[in-house]
This record gives sequence, structure tokens and C-alpha cells, in this order.
Amino acid sequence: MIHRRPLITLAAASAMVPLSVHAQTTEKASAFVKSTGDRLVAVVNGPGSAPTKRAAMTKILDADVDVDGIGKFCLGRFWRLATSEQQKQYLTLFHEVLVTNITSKLGEYQGVTFTMGRSKPQDDQAVVSTTVVRPNNPPTAVDWIIANPSSDPKIIDVVAEGTSLRLTQRQDYASYLAHNNNNVDALIAAMKNQIAQSG
Amino acid sequence: MQAAQHFRPSFFGTTRFLAFMAVVVCGLAGCATRPPADDPDAVADYNQTNDPLEPTNRVFYAINNGLDTVILRPAALAYRYVVPDPVRTGIHNVLANIGLPIQLTNDALEGKPRRAGDTTMRFLINTTAGVLGIFDVATKWGYPDHDADFGMTLALWGVPEGPFLFLPVLGPSDPRDAAGFGVDIAFDPFTWIGTGPNKPAWSAFKWSRFGLNAIDSRERVLDAVDSIKKTALDPYATFRSLYRQHRHAQIETLRNDNRATVPVWFPQPATTPAK
Repeated sequence: MIHRRPLITLAAASAMVPLSVHAQTTEKASAFVKSTGDRLVAVVNGPGSAPTKRAAMTKILDADVDVDGIGKFCLGRFWRLATSEQQKQYLTLFHEVLVTNITSKLGEYQGVTFTMGRSKPQDDQAVVSTTVVRPNNPPTAVDWIIANPSSDPKIIDVVAEGTSLRLTQRQDYASYLAHNNNNVDALIAAMKNQIAQSG
Repeated sequence: MQAAQHFRPSFFGTTRFLAFMAVVVCGLAGCATRPPADDPDAVADYNQTNDPLEPTNRVFYAINNGLDTVILRPAALAYRYVVPDPVRTGIHNVLANIGLPIQLTNDALEGKPRRAGDTTMRFLINTTAGVLGIFDVATKWGYPDHDADFGMTLALWGVPEGPFLFLPVLGPSDPRDAAGFGVDIAFDPFTWIGTGPNKPAWSAFKWSRFGLNAIDSRERVLDAVDSIKKTALDPYATFRSLYRQHRHAQIETLRNDNRATVPVWFPQPATTPAK
């Protein structure tokens, strides 16, 4: 009887630890998304020419988004098949394509606002829910997937109304490669072409 | 022997018909070639894509895309240009309100009483206070909209989605959603009325509704579709991926909506927001 009480306390304490750790992790992830989101909205709605906005956007992406990780994910099984030279070229292009795609949409997002929702842990990541509101558009549910939420938080995916940005991109690339003899050089050429057309 | 004759399945009523159709469809435009078995990654990709009719689907995608470029997209652009935004919202709300009986039937078949309640209240409030559905008052009063169609109902019942289909005119689908589309037409009360002396008026109403629905839906995705076509290397594959992910998310939301109805004389649980 004497030993039981400390045991219970210990059990209770050990049960509490992961709970509070989870709470801390999700809080940190929420704060991270809030800060990134605020800066993104400031750039979108702020003054400044297209090149300045592009530069500001690149800065935020480099700091808060794991672009290399997303790039690797998007290439899927072809990442292992690519030579290191191809990998390097691909990642550089992937950065540019991402920035170009985002900056080309800035006009559509004029006047954007967002509200924070819940956040929950998922494996060793955190999912932070937000609602993004654009003028004259129905509100959109956007989830941000955060890797290493407690130590070095980075955005690794954005899920809008249940559609994952990186998964969609991966399937786009996979299909393109499948129709071009699984040739990574063809993909690299197509990405170069894409950047040239938009620039 | 007569009885045996009677029970012999007819050509168009059996799996033989499906097999026949598969042969016809594959013969017309070819089926996707399965990758060799010694490349497990490629096989995994092929299975995950689950699009054995891809070459045929791409033909229909090209046709739809052509029709869209010359008819639907210009019509949607003109609609956006001519009709002011609040009026477009009103038209969208009216169309959505007319569709609520279909939604209610599916809510019931899905066994989701709270969803059915939301739909009923939406219909009653928006038809009266919302002036025949022009204004969405119900959302402000705490009865938010949700998605419900027979494709989702079938999914909840455990029917698998099957391979990807790109249908002429209708666009991205799968056998489950295509069947659901047909059943939803049967669920629509307007399908069954308008055969009497007022037939021409009803026909006019139905065709206007059909046309407005098409233009309204297209107008709402103008920017999104334009930007996908601009940024995707393979727009067909991107639309396929987006369609599937969006459907899965809708079904997941439906599955997780287990709000309970507690009688007023019972202690009320903490209210959780509808998700």
C-alpha cells in the first residue's frame, strides 16, 4: 500500500509528460505558422513592385519552407535514379519554379486575410489549420504541415481543401516523366522552359 | 428447359457487357500499358495512379478541353464580366437551394441526422427569409453548408471508387461517382415533374437551370483552372490528382461528422464545432 501511491504518481506524471510536450509542440507550430502567415500577407497586400515582392517572397520561402525537402519528395522515386548533377540542377530549378508560381498568383490574393484554427501533432510533425479568406471568394480551409515543430520548424506541405500541394506536384512530375521515357533531363528541360515562359 | 431459358442472363445485363465494353473502349483508344513486373517502383506507380484507361481518358480530356476553350470558358468570362458579383452570388445561392432536396436524401441515406437537420433548416430558412434562396441567411444563423451526393454516400457504404474516368462533358470521375451522378438525377424532384400542360415552361426552367449551373460552376473555378493549366507540366495528371484528393477529403469529412443529437432533457455535451 505504501509503494502504490508513488507508483500511481509516477504513472500519472509519465502520462502527463507527453501531453504537455504535445501541447508545447503544437503551440510552437501555431506560433510559427502565424508569424510566417503574417509576413506572407504583409508582402501580398503591401506596396512595392513585382520584383521587390518576388525578392521578399523568396526570403520568406528560404527561411520558413523546406524547399529542398519538398523538391525531393516531388521527384519521388526518380530522385534516386537521378545523377548528382541532375539532382543539383533540379533543386535549383524547383526553387525558381516555386517562387515563380507563387508570385504569379499574388494578384489573385490581393486583400487576403487568414484566421488561425486548431493545431495537432501528427507523427513527428504538426498540422496547423487556418482559414484563408480572399475577397469575393468562399473561405478556404488550409492546413500547414510543419516538420520538427519544436526544434527547427519548417513548412513541408500546404493542404488546401484536402488537396496537398506537394502530392499534386509529385503526381504531375511523375506523369510527365512517365510520358518522357522516365528521363529526368526531359523534366529539367521542361522546368527551364516554364521559367523562361513566365519570366 | 423453358425456365432455364428464362434465367439465362441477357447480353446487356451481365458482366459480359462490362467485358465487352472494356474490349470496345480499349480497342478504340488503347489501354495504358502495364509496366514490366521486374520494375517494382514503376508497378507501384501504375497501381497508385489507378488509371488503366488513361489513353482513352486523355482523348476525352482533349475533347472536353477543346469544348471548354471555345464554349464554356468564354461563357464564364462573359458571365463574370456582365453580371455583378452580388448578383452572381445570389444566382449561385438559388441554384444551391434548389439542389438541397438531393442533398437531404443523401444525408439521410448516409445516416447523418445532424447533416440532414442542417440541410432541412437551410432549405426552410433560405427559401423564406432568404427570399427563394437568393440570400444564404442560414449559414449566418448557424446552419453551415456541407457536401453530399450519392457518390459520397456509396463511399460511406463501402463501395470502392474504382479506376479513374474522364467522362465526355462531365469531366473527371470514377465509376462510383458516375453512378452517383445518375442516382442524384433520380433523387431530384424536378426530374419527375413538368409533364402536364405546362411542359414547355418546365422544360425552359430545367434547361436554364442546367445552363446556369454549368456557367456558375465554371466561373467559380476560372482562376484556379487557368493557373493549373499554366503551371502544370501535365494538366491532365494534375486534374486527376486534385479530383481524387478533393473527393477523398470530402468523404473523410463526411465520415468524421459524428455530431450526436442529444434530447433536450438530457445533459448536453460540450458543443464541438461542425467539421
